[in-house]
Amino acid sequence: MAAFGSFAILLGLVLCAYNLVTGAIALRQIAVHPEASAAPERLAESARRAGIGSFVAMTAAAFALVYCAFTNDFSVSYVLHHSNRALPWPYKFAALWSGQEGSLLLWAWLLAAYGFVLRVRHKVDVKLTAYASTILAGIQVFFTLLLVFPAPPFALVQGAVPADGFGLNPLLQYPEMVIHPPMLYLGYVGFSVPFAFALGALMMRYPGEKWIHITRRWTMVTWLFLTCGIFLGAHWAYSVLGWGGYWGWDPVENASLMPWLTGTAFLHSVMMQEKRGMMKAWNVWLIFTTFMLSILGTLLTRSGLVSSVHAFAESSIGSWFWAFLIIVLSVCLFTYLLQRDHLQSEHKIESLVSRESSFLFNNLVLLAACFTILWGTLFPIISEYVEGSKVTVGPPFYNRVAVPIGIFLLFLTGIGPVLAWRSTSFKSVRRNFVWPTIAGVVTAIVLMAAGMRPWRDVGTLYSLMAFSLAALVTTAIGSEFWRGARVIQRHTGKNMLFSVMQLTRRNTRRYGGYLVHIGVVIVFIGLAGSAFNQSKEQEMGFHDSMTLGPYRLVCQSYTQDSNANYDSEYELLNVYKNNKFLLQMAPERRFYHASQQTETMVADHSTLQRDLYVVYEGRNPESNQPIIKVFINPLVAWIWIGVLVMAFGTLLALVPNLSAEQVARSRKPTEENLAFAAGVSH
Amino acid sequence: MTIVACAVLVIGIFVYIFYPQRNTEVQTQKTRLEFLRERKDSIYENLRDLNFEYRAGKYPEEDYVAQRAGLENEAAQIVAEIEFLESGFHAA
Amino acid sequence: MRQFSLQPGIRSVIRTWLQLSVACLLLIFTVGAGDTSARYNQLGHQMICTCGCNQVLLECNHVGCTVSTQMEGELHNALDRGDGNQLVLQNFVQKYGPTVLAAPPEAGFNLVAWIAPGIVFLLATLGTALLIRKWKLHTVPMPKEIAADPHTEAIRAKVRRETEL
Repeated sequence: MAAFGSFAILLGLVLCAYNLVTGAIALRQIAVHPEASAAPERLAESARRAGIGSFVAMTAAAFALVYCAFTNDFSVSYVLHHSNRALPWPYKFAALWSGQEGSLLLWAWLLAAYGFVLRVRHKVDVKLTAYASTILAGIQVFFTLLLVFPAPPFALVQGAVPADGFGLNPLLQYPEMVIHPPMLYLGYVGFSVPFAFALGALMMRYPGEKWIHITRRWTMVTWLFLTCGIFLGAHWAYSVLGWGGYWGWDPVENASLMPWLTGTAFLHSVMMQEKRGMMKAWNVWLIFTTFMLSILGTLLTRSGLVSSVHAFAESSIGSWFWAFLIIVLSVCLFTYLLQRDHLQSEHKIESLVSRESSFLFNNLVLLAACFTILWGTLFPIISEYVEGSKVTVGPPFYNRVAVPIGIFLLFLTGIGPVLAWRSTSFKSVRRNFVWPTIAGVVTAIVLMAAGMRPWRDVGTLYSLMAFSLAALVTTAIGSEFWRGARVIQRHTGKNMLFSVMQLTRRNTRRYGGYLVHIGVVIVFIGLAGSAFNQSKEQEMGFHDSMTLGPYRLVCQSYTQDSNANYDSEYELLNVYKNNKFLLQMAPERRFYHASQQTETMVADHSTLQRDLYVVYEGRNPESNQPIIKVFINPLVAWIWIGVLVMAFGTLLALVPNLSAEQVARSRKPTEENLAFAAGVSH
Repeated sequence: MTIVACAVLVIGIFVYIFYPQRNTEVQTQKTRLEFLRERKDSIYENLRDLNFEYRAGKYPEEDYVAQRAGLENEAAQIVAEIEFLESGFHAA
Repeated sequence: MRQFSLQPGIRSVIRTWLQLSVACLLLIFTVGAGDTSARYNQLGHQMICTCGCNQVLLECNHVGCTVSTQMEGELHNALDRGDGNQLVLQNFVQKYGPTVLAAPPEAGFNLVAWIAPGIVFLLATLGTALLIRKWKLHTVPMPKEIAADPHTEAIRAKVRRETEL
């Protein structure tokens, strides 16, 4: 099977190279002689099919690797290092992406899969798709080359084949780990598609903005995957790593956040191009940057350039990524310089107080956040180069520099939707902002009355700002729904609920987008809770008790257990809240045989108000009694709920709008409407 | 076994790629008319939005009238050109 | 008269409140600074564990990580000795190298790390403002009406009809 896998990768390489070269030749011929015979068209068609074929080949390769993992074929070095016989089957599946070679194979396969969808749906715009398909084939060639030369997943073990594998890193033996990396990769890889379309549209001087319409759903789906990937990672870190947090500003986490930030900026500013023909050059560079940042992130984490908890073993793969990044940048720059006259704006901003300028500021802030994170991630390298000594840029740096930017961003989340396109007069600004501002101020006052002391430390100040902005933004967005629904209600004579639904269906992208904003607000509420985290560590033997916040934990017993995959130690704790029995918790610590590694299983009791998070730290070697660490983390559950809302909002935005005819059907022919139509014409 | 699987994969894919196709999709250059129709749709969308936002209370009357006039002018020019091109094609 | 007699009363109440709040603030800050466990927590979050795990010192949870246990012990000792925050950090830097600090010190070249994001943000804001200004200056005001030729008027009417709600 290993030989078959290697062969399939080689075949995939040949096919996408064919797609790249023939596709480029055909496009060139068609561009130079538009009236020529059907030969270039046939060539282009064969290139497209080769692209589709590359998906089949890569699928075969991925299948072969999973097959090797499932059949315990330890002659394959990758399987030997990332699996073992006793490993439960879902994790054998996950072995596909738990190491360098496998995850690159997954990347190449996903790329081929995206390419497959794009090439099959080529009738949307045959010519533009041909360009995009060729560019995508170029990216595929790079990733497949990695699989052939520096990181072959089917490399065989030298010498005698061991009877059992070394096992999967226990940190990765967790349900979310099975879906987190593919989600994240779907996000990273997905940006290749809008990138390919943007570059293709620029190369062929595509007239109009339809390419944005074509890539809109691609971009949103990709963004959704990346969002889910990032937060699944955070949730995994929270549930598995056992340090009571979900985000550590590690280079790998930063690497995933950077393309997310520029991608978010792109999703917003692209609307200005679609609606108003503005910011064309800016948008093109935003998507170029997003793509390059997703490559840079991979480069940073896989080359050993920056040290990280997540980093793969240092390898020569870094130089390949450098080369690829330089090629991509050169191609982008060259194409841009050659075709930049094609990117002239049709309109200009008409007023500072308008949706357009709020998008501009949103972009500015998102990019500032991205720069800050990039800067923080790279500063150790810069410092080493300048000063000769490395420094650490850790959580304190980001908390101080990035958090204010985040709060400003939260503010814009509420401002943007209330502003109108083109220009908003100060009168309507006043009218639209009265209630949100009142809501924000009242919230701040109530919270201070309830005991929040923002002058005591910065953390409290930030979280007070976050809570009060959350109220402001929610009111602003709520009023958007309400006012829109009122218009519909007057129009159709139906009830409010119907009107809200009709409103949303008429413009799913806008109102789905607003829902995403609400999700962001909820996430921020959860993040703001971290200012009030508490923790306590204590040795807890039989019947010992510990009190933290409203909780009292009493040790019932502690014991050991064993199975084929791991040994475990755990403690049973009765939890009392305000002296009433609440539940029993069992924090655990496992020792995995195959990998000889230890792993904590956190016990977490999560409510909307707070999480009670209990970690079994190990045993005190002197007393042989377990050490238990307890965290109270307020509002953490809101983060995960917020992400669900964001995902729902994005899915809603993907639903097609009601057509004009469907809208017309729901209209009620009243005198008011007729009078309105007559009135505004004068 | 492996060789057979490899051979099947290669032959299958190559047959698919080079199998002669009667009617391949032709890469057409976008016509001016198509471009104008897209523009028209986009301006119509903007006008509908403007109408809606006006009724939702986001624009004062004078802003609304001015902006609508501007968009309608743009739309009128494009519709006129579309009509001209369409009649030209019919005549030909 | 009553109002006059009340005013000094209000003033004294305000004065008392002001004094109380100043006292409270002082209390809060002095208590915060003097509390060893708060300082331990604060300093422990300003350093990272040097075992290579890259985690904040007090959050390092590696099983059997002797490095963080030892470092935590040293931190405890230093605080028990009564060392000031700066001295504690200095001693740690001397022993473990500059990477032990979780964020770059705000001095020398490392100051750049802190300043650069702010400067870039300011420059970008300035650039955006200038850009909007330039655009606004170059905007041609939209003509309200174009020549009332009947054909155009008919098209306009059609456009209006088709873009109703």
